[in-house]
Order: sequence, then C-alpha cells, then structure tokens
Amino acid sequence: MIFPVDDIVAERPAPTPLYAAAASVSTANLWTSINGFAAARVYDSVEAEYRAAKEGAVIADFGPLSRYAVRGESAAVLLSRVATAPALSLSPGESARGLILDDEGGVIDLAEVSRLADELFLLTTPSPQPRALQLAARGLDAQVEDISRTVAAIGVLGANANEALAASGLKIPGDHVAASAVLRGVETAARPMQFGALPGAELVFPAEDALTIWERLMRRSSVKPIGLDAMEVLRIESGAPRPGADFITRVPRRGARRPLPSEIGLPHLAPLDGGWFNGRRSLRFAAPAPDHYLVTLAIDADHVLPGAPVALGGKADGRVTLAVWSPAVRRVIAFASLPGATAGKIREISVVDDGGEARRARILDTAESRLAAAFQQSQAQATD
Amino acid sequence: MTDGDGQIGKAKIEGGVDAIVIGGAPDGLVAAAYLARAGLKTVLFEASGEIGAPCRSAAPEGDSASLDGEHLFHGLDPQTIDDLDLYSCGVAFAARRMGVAYFFEDGECLRLGGDLRAAAQDADPDGDAFQHFITDAFEAASFMRPLFSGAPGVNAAFATALADAPPRLAKQLDRWMTQPAEEALADYFPEGAVKTAMLAEAAFRNGLPPHEAMSFSPLLARWSGEVAGLQGAVAFAEGGAGAVIDALRRAAQKAKVEFRTASPIARILIEKDRAAGVELDTGNQLRAPIVIAAVDAETTYTELIGPAVLDRAFQQSISMRKPALSTAHLHLRLKGAPIDETTRAGLARRIVYAPPADKICRAFAGAAQGDVPKELIIEAVFENAFDENAAPDRQQLSVLAHPTPALAASDEKGREKLRDAIVAGVERFAPNIAERIDAERLATAADMASASGAPAGAFAAREGVYRQLARAAATTSAGSVGGLFFCGPEAQIGYGINGAAGRNAAQAALGKIDRAGAAR
Repeated sequence: MIFPVDDIVAERPAPTPLYAAAASVSTANLWTSINGFAAARVYDSVEAEYRAAKEGAVIADFGPLSRYAVRGESAAVLLSRVATAPALSLSPGESARGLILDDEGGVIDLAEVSRLADELFLLTTPSPQPRALQLAARGLDAQVEDISRTVAAIGVLGANANEALAASGLKIPGDHVAASAVLRGVETAARPMQFGALPGAELVFPAEDALTIWERLMRRSSVKPIGLDAMEVLRIESGAPRPGADFITRVPRRGARRPLPSEIGLPHLAPLDGGWFNGRRSLRFAAPAPDHYLVTLAIDADHVLPGAPVALGGKADGRVTLAVWSPAVRRVIAFASLPGATAGKIREISVVDDGGEARRARILDTAESRLAAAFQQSQAQATD
Repeated sequence: MTDGDGQIGKAKIEGGVDAIVIGGAPDGLVAAAYLARAGLKTVLFEASGEIGAPCRSAAPEGDSASLDGEHLFHGLDPQTIDDLDLYSCGVAFAARRMGVAYFFEDGECLRLGGDLRAAAQDADPDGDAFQHFITDAFEAASFMRPLFSGAPGVNAAFATALADAPPRLAKQLDRWMTQPAEEALADYFPEGAVKTAMLAEAAFRNGLPPHEAMSFSPLLARWSGEVAGLQGAVAFAEGGAGAVIDALRRAAQKAKVEFRTASPIARILIEKDRAAGVELDTGNQLRAPIVIAAVDAETTYTELIGPAVLDRAFQQSISMRKPALSTAHLHLRLKGAPIDETTRAGLARRIVYAPPADKICRAFAGAAQGDVPKELIIEAVFENAFDENAAPDRQQLSVLAHPTPALAASDEKGREKLRDAIVAGVERFAPNIAERIDAERLATAADMASASGAPAGAFAAREGVYRQLARAAATTSAGSVGGLFFCGPEAQIGYGINGAAGRNAAQAALGKIDRAGAAR
C-alpha cells in the first residue's frame, strides 16, 4: 500500500502504536506527518534502508494508513460500491488492489480489500475515506468500523520477507492467501502484499500489542526498519503513483475533475468488463478524453525538483511531480505528468534539472506500466 | 439459463418489445404515447388494477370518479396537448380561466376575475400596486417557462438566457428566485387584502413558509404554466382531473401502447450498465432496450434497481429529506338539492380562505413540528358549479388545505383534528357547512402514498424551485444507466398533472435510438 502525501502543515502528529519502537531505533530522527500520524522518513540512511529492502528484508510502520472492518451480509456489495477491487469474487483469505472512484470515474484514492471471512472484510486506504463508506452503506446490510486507531500494522518487505516472517513464526501459505497466527500470544493477521516489485506481507494486530510484535520481528529475524524516503525510491521504481502528490484526489475548483484511472497509469485496477463498481458507468459511457497522463522517467541528472518542466521535442509540455535518485537505475527517476494529446507520440524528452539545465530523459518501464500495457492489450484483443 | 422456449423453470422471458414504461400515472401515459407514436412497440405496466388509480382515491364512495386531489389545472404542457392531440382524445375545459374569491379572517371578501392582469386594474384600493406586481410577475414567469419545464440541460440554457435578458428583468428574476414571499410582496403592496391574498397564493402548496428564502419562486413557477392556452390561468377540466387521465390513456391506446394492469414490477434488469427490461413480481421477465420509470425516484432507484449498482453520490442526490409539509384533500358530499342555475354563477370560481400572514407563518411552523395548524390556507371548488355532469343529483365540494404535517394525522385522533381544522376553514366562507355534510373522505399525503405504494415524500410539498430543479436534474440523469429514463414526480417542477416530464423522458429516449433502431 502506498502512503498518501505528507501533511506538511500538521502541527503535532499523533504517535502510531509503533511510534515508541520506531523512535528507539531511529538515529536520523527525521519525521513527517501522514494522515495526522508521525511517520519516520529515515531511520539510518536512505541508501542503507533501500539496499536492505533489495537484498534482505525490512519492516515499515503502516500505522498511518486507514483501515476499516466491513461486516455483514452485504459487506461484499458495499465494498464493490466503494472500490474497484473485485470484493464479490474474493474467497476468504484473498486480497485485491483497487481504486476508489467518484461517480464520474475520477480517482479518489487507492484501496486494498481483503476478505477475512465470508462476511468480514478489511479495507485499507492511504487516506481516511469515511464519506465514501458512509454513502456506500446506504440501503445495505453492512456495518463499517474504522479500526485505524485500534490496530497496528507492520509491512514486512523485501527479497527475504517470507524468510523473515517464517523466522518470526508466521508462514504465509501462498502468494495471495492471508494467514493468521499467534505470535507471542498476540493474534496476528498477515496478508501478502507487493510494494512495487518487492514481495512482502502486511501484519495487522491489536494496537496494544504493537511493541511485542515489532520486538519479535527485530529479534527473530534480521530485518531493518525502513523509512518513507527509501520507500519512495522503491515506489517510483515500481511506477506506483502517490495520491495527493502524483495526482490530485480533491477537486480543486468548480468544473475541475479528478483524474481517471488511465490518466494515472492504473487502468488495470478499474476493468470495465468485470463486476460493477462506483463510477463504472461514467467510465464506460461518458469518460472524457485523457487530459494528461503519468509516466515514470529516468533522467540523466543528479537532482531534479518537483514541478520541474518536462519538454517533449523541445517544447515545455509537462511537469515532474516527484523525483528521487535511484541506486538501481543510477539516475534520477521521477513521475511526470504529460498532456494527453502526446500519448504514443513521444520521441524526445528533456527535463530541466535544479541547475536550470535541460537533461535528457526516457520513459522507464516499471512493474505498474507493464501491468497497464498487458491490460490494455487484452482489452484491445477482446474488442477485436 | 433459459430452456428452448425462453423459460427459466416456470418463469417466462418475453422479448420483442422496444420500450417499457413503469407506472400508469399521467407522465407514464404521456411517455408511452410518445414512444408508441414514434413507432416503438411499447408496453406500460401499472401495479394497480386501473390506470391512474392513485389519483382517483379521494372521492367518497359513489361520488364521481372524475374527482381527485388535483381538482384544478395550473399547467398542462401545451406541446403535449398538441403532439398527442389530446383535445380529440377528450380533454375539454368546463372553465378555462377561473375567477377567485378570497375570504379573510375579518369576513371580508375580495373577488377577482380569472384574468389577473385585467383583475388587477379593477382591484381596489391597491389597484396600481397590484397591476404593477402582476405585470412584472407574469413577465418573469413567462421568461422562466422553459426552465420550469424541467427539460434536461435547461439550467445551462436558462443561465444563457438570463445573461441575455434585459438588465431590469434579469435583476428582478435573480432576486425573486431566492427572495422570501413576504419580502417580494412587501416591495409592491402596503398591508391589505390584496397582499394577504397574494401571500396565501404564494404559500399555498409551498414547502417553505413565506418568510423563508426561495419561498416566492413557486408562485412564479405556477404562473408560468399554461393551461387551456392561457398562461397563469386556473382551469377546471370537464369531468375533472380523472377525465384528463382518461384522455391520456386514450391517446396512448390510439398510439397502440399495450397496457398491463395489476402487474407490479419487482426490479429493473440492469446488464452491462444498461437497462435490459423488467422482472415482474411473478418472476417473468420482459426485455426491452428502453425503460422509462414513471414512479417516484426512491422506488425506481432504491427498490427496483437497488443500491448495489447505484453510484454513491447519485444515490445521495436522489434521496429525499424527511418530508415535513403536505397538502390534505377533503372531499365533501353535501345534503340538499343540487346547485341551481341561480347559485351556479356565484359558486363557479376558486374559493380561497387566506389567513393573515402571521397565522400562515405559525401554521407552517406548527405543521413542520407535526401539529395540525388551527388556521389553514383553504382552496375549495364546487365541481357541480362548473360541470353539472360531475354529480347531477347532489352538491359536492373539493377542498385542499395547506400546510398540513406530512407524516402526522395517521391515527384516528389526528385525522379528526385535521378534518375539523379543514372544515373550520371552509366555514369561513360557507357558515354552518358542517351540518350539511352527508359524506366525506379525507386524503393525506400518507393516504396517497399508501394508495400508490410510493413513499410519503413523493406527495410532500416541494421546497423552492432551485431545489426542485436540482432534484429533477439528478433523477432524470438515471444514474448514467444506459437506456433508463425517468419521469416520476421528482422530474416535475411544481405540482399537478402537467405531462412535460413524460414528454422529456420519451424525447430523451427517442434521441438515444440510432437509425438501426437500437438504443445507444
């Protein structure tokens, strides 16, 4: 799950259940606020955390994300109204990614839906979505409980994530099936997840037992904590856009609209030939032509600032949304928003770096862009 | 899965139909007639055993079936009359421009002719102010008429028209659309009979009390209506409103609409985000690419489609607030001889009891709290005075009373209190009438809701034209369900039988049919 944009004006972020543990291992002591919660940007160094994720396993405090328990006979129907994830077709233990769309098919947020039992689901979203859930529950036999403050969550990510989990006493049976275990007397649910190209799992457990689980993982396995800045590099490498930063989630003015799934590079998360979801009819019958679209760029530069102009064929047309240095690509990588009319016609791209010089760039092939391309190809074949 | 003859188990699947209309209310009949006249094979489903049945529930047993809660016409869509040739189907007016007698608390009476512009000239002592007011109001109402048709996209068209309107008119319209009725009238009238009468007119059947913002606009909406070729007129149809429904039914029959009465719809079939037909209570299905719903929005969307496939914000936009106010109908059969020729002329008008402004405001406040107000605005009509065939052997009086609590008076005690308040209002202009009542029937919003199976909100008083326009725009969008069109009560601006919503829905449906005849 991707974190939403930081609240840079938050005055006094609340501690997550894991704050004490995270603070005790943070030497950099660099924090930010996500959804009003304190979140570590760096524990030690970005590069060391990044390398640990790529080569071993890392743990991240997922406490700032929003979580809802959805119960009842119509829980699956409710979730199919809330998110594009195929809640109705999930079996107990299965999870799926999706988007939360408005009636016009504009993206409000990302979502992950896990079916824990026949009539019990867990919905995880980057930002709180009480309004969408409240509206969706009208007329349905389903109860929604915001459990964001009553549970703690840890993401265990990296090449050796499964080994780290096994060492801690939790084995996940398959790539898509959630499991539960008792770790040091604490009932813990684990669901498999991907963070970009990294495999991993998310552990969810009662908030009061947060330190017990953190300690267990730290002691029994060789995991290292990872902060938001290193995760940001992994995120952009994977091509996963960040709500509120790479795309707007609130309508800024009258007449404006939220971006469509295809405009943020996630058309595969809102398939129009599957089950019904909110906004599908608009996407199907009344979707406007793409106004812009997001791409991941690899830029021949050392530093690029957010908002930097992107020129296509020498003409400034787009802008960088967020940029980081990628040790894997050995360049700056960035999300850039480009005009819809240029889709499929790009030959030469340049980005202005923080020194004001135009630097060559190319579109990066990412895990997310490959999924989008495969989806669009399958859609084209279905149409044929 | 179907077997060879199109059956799932015992349920039957039927096809070969181009369009389905749900609901035999006037707008459903209009929509069906338009579709059938365009060459579409159209089937109209009515849950009750009789077309237009819910409109005919208010008369005592044995009285004329032509009488109902909508005893007068303020607007009947002229284009629908022309297109469906309704005059040849039986629409006729016993009175085209009815005069009105306003009675006041002090026993005084103000009589006005049916032509308000002419009547304003003769009004004494506020003649000049009245004439000025009527001239301005009719000019504004006439300009607003396209907006009040509730046609799709009319809001944008209206905004353009307003920008092009003469500055004085544009400014006046802008103010009147949001102004409280009390304030709008105070700009023209000193305290007096004419102001009290106009205030009662503005407050009658209005969901907003006259001191609240936007409470003046419904009067403009009413005066923008055209009936019997006359703008702002109040007319009485020969045979009553039921006769107009009969004429609409004949127009639909003439166009070869197939009626299926006593056929409640269980759900509207939605397949691939499009309407695909309907399923009846019996489990049988009738499939068609066009479905027009002429029942209320809550029934259409929440019950017949279901929240599971409705967009969230759309569902919110169509959901009604708990209704607070409504209009009650009391139908009285009176003892004594039928109206003779001598008294006929005197009674052949609308009779309105207009309480003082402060009592009207108190009535609204009380009714909103669920109490039956002591003073009600009363509109009464002696139908026999216009139409001697309505009930040749007796006198009968149709009374509408406003404001009444929408959900109260459901128990016997509450109904009795409401009935007594209405009769007390009638006694203001017909002393001792209580002693002459032979039979009576009271119909509240709750009664009409229970007769039609719709929620009480569908019969509640409407709150301001802007709110009605917003609801009409939301409900007629049909939640983007392809092939589904809506002309239930929420699609209409104002009250009464009009037909424009049915015409709009049918024309929108026909606009979506491509040359090959398939719905887009």
